[in-house]
Amino acid sequence: MRLLTVGGVIAYRALFNWATPSMFVGTLLVAPLFQLLFFAYLGRQLGVADDTFYIVGNAVLSATLACVFGGTIAIANERRWGTLGHVLLSPRSRTLIFLGRALPYAGNGLLIAVFTLTVGSLLLGLRIPASAVPGLAVTFAVGSLSCACFGLTLGALGLRFRDVWLISNVSLALMLLLTGVNVPAEHLPEWMRVVGGWLPITHAASAARLLVAGEGFGAALPSLWREALVGLVYAVVAAVLLTLFEAESRRRASLDTL
Amino acid sequence: MALAIEARDLRRTYRTRTGWLNPRRVAIDAVRGVDLDVRRGELFGLLGPNGAGKTTTIKMLNTLLIPTSGTARVCGFDVVSQTREVRKRIGYVFGGDRGLYDRLSGLDNLRYFAELYGVPAARQKRRIAELLELVGLAGRERDRVEGYSRGMRQRLHIARGLLHEPEVLFLDEPSIGVDPVAARELRSTVAGLAATGTTVLLTTHYMAEAEELCDRIAVIAGGEIQALGTADELKHYAQGRRVLEVQAFGVTDAQVKGIDLLPGVREASVEVLGTSQVLTVQSDAAVDVQADVLRALDGVRLGRVTARQPTLEDAYVTIVNGVDRTPATVTA
Repeated sequence: MRLLTVGGVIAYRALFNWATPSMFVGTLLVAPLFQLLFFAYLGRQLGVADDTFYIVGNAVLSATLACVFGGTIAIANERRWGTLGHVLLSPRSRTLIFLGRALPYAGNGLLIAVFTLTVGSLLLGLRIPASAVPGLAVTFAVGSLSCACFGLTLGALGLRFRDVWLISNVSLALMLLLTGVNVPAEHLPEWMRVVGGWLPITHAASAARLLVAGEGFGAALPSLWREALVGLVYAVVAAVLLTLFEAESRRRASLDTL
Repeated sequence: MALAIEARDLRRTYRTRTGWLNPRRVAIDAVRGVDLDVRRGELFGLLGPNGAGKTTTIKMLNTLLIPTSGTARVCGFDVVSQTREVRKRIGYVFGGDRGLYDRLSGLDNLRYFAELYGVPAARQKRRIAELLELVGLAGRERDRVEGYSRGMRQRLHIARGLLHEPEVLFLDEPSIGVDPVAARELRSTVAGLAATGTTVLLTTHYMAEAEELCDRIAVIAGGEIQALGTADELKHYAQGRRVLEVQAFGVTDAQVKGIDLLPGVREASVEVLGTSQVLTVQSDAAVDVQADVLRALDGVRLGRVTARQPTLEDAYVTIVNGVDRTPATVTA
């Protein structure tokens, strides 16, 4: 448990590029807020959807930068510091080591989503029912965790491919397009909806919209389970990839080439 | 005899591929059949030039690489199939600036690796304090590592390698780039470890370091062990020789080659030390080559000229120069 918690927090401080206050506020709090405003005003102009759609969608989306890049950084940045060999010499479970690293990023994501929703609502005049607040907190937490597990999967790819940041950048763009946060899912072609269904935050965004609409936690629960399932799948994929790539690095000396 | 490390016919071939349309595959035999027996509590040196196979050998023994063939056991556990057991019992320290989390303090680096290496929570605080004291970083442990000098980083590397009280410690060129005072402190720390019963496998380029510290030394070159014994035993490789050292300014490669061909000369090499060069000429003990060498250096400004008995370094040069250092390269 200590490896999961204490280890995760120390690794976060060691590896996260945006841990300084100015970087955190500028990159993770202010930038998503402007993104929210951009899409809300664009939505008004085009008449695609109302402000609520964009405020809730972008609040869920705001967690992705910290979570997806955080998860990737949690593994891939070991190469930057030259510490990967020492981590791999640990006799302890890789799953515990690396899943523990995802937790602080998920916490980051939750904080950012709550901030974006609160400030976005105040700026654009959205009233959220008080009864929806606990459910929204759970939804943001599940969405952030799912995102962080997705980031870990990308980070695991970083053990094999040096240019993993390229994949992270493309993934963020895909999430903007396919998860239904800014483009209503019913406007997307079928295959894009299918792909979006297997990306993190798609179902969390649906759940959050149901909660803000006052539908109650019971109505949002199926979407939340689907989001949790997506996150679990990515966690398992990350664990399998880590095992495979570690074994491959011992066989092919692939980590020595850096 | 209890062995901490046993290796039998250990081999490692690196295979690389370059190009997509017309791929070129290259196989490099980095280690070509190493046999090693290191006793428990022994301080064992692995000496060799760059590319000799020292680091590859260590990485196979510490489980980071799988041998292409051959077997190795550490504390009785197989390095391929019993990795977790091996990892619990070993520490690994390498030289250089990297390998630490620069944004964290030295203390936090140690706290994190204490978690990774399974040091029980109740013992972590005391163990870390002991190690900070041992490596002389007490008082600086809360500073960020990015502000540490290379010597301090090196000492932190050692502290990390010792967190879980390993039975076997691999030290891969720990004194590389460290200033003489820091290197002396480092040697004293390593000697202290051996005195506590920790088995140490040390790779180094520095003969004085190996001679001062190691119970036995293996010289590796071309991926194979070329000689093995105590420092005194290895010096026999240069037995029957005498050494002439000439301080010079501006010796050319052609002149060194010419000296190498003089009657009675066995080896000639030049090392640059600051603004001057030191020409070292090994010759048969029965032949005095001083006059011929000085004649060959006609026109070169010379400094001190000294004749002396062979050292471990001379023996090392003799051993290594007799080896084809280029590992076999196969292109398919």
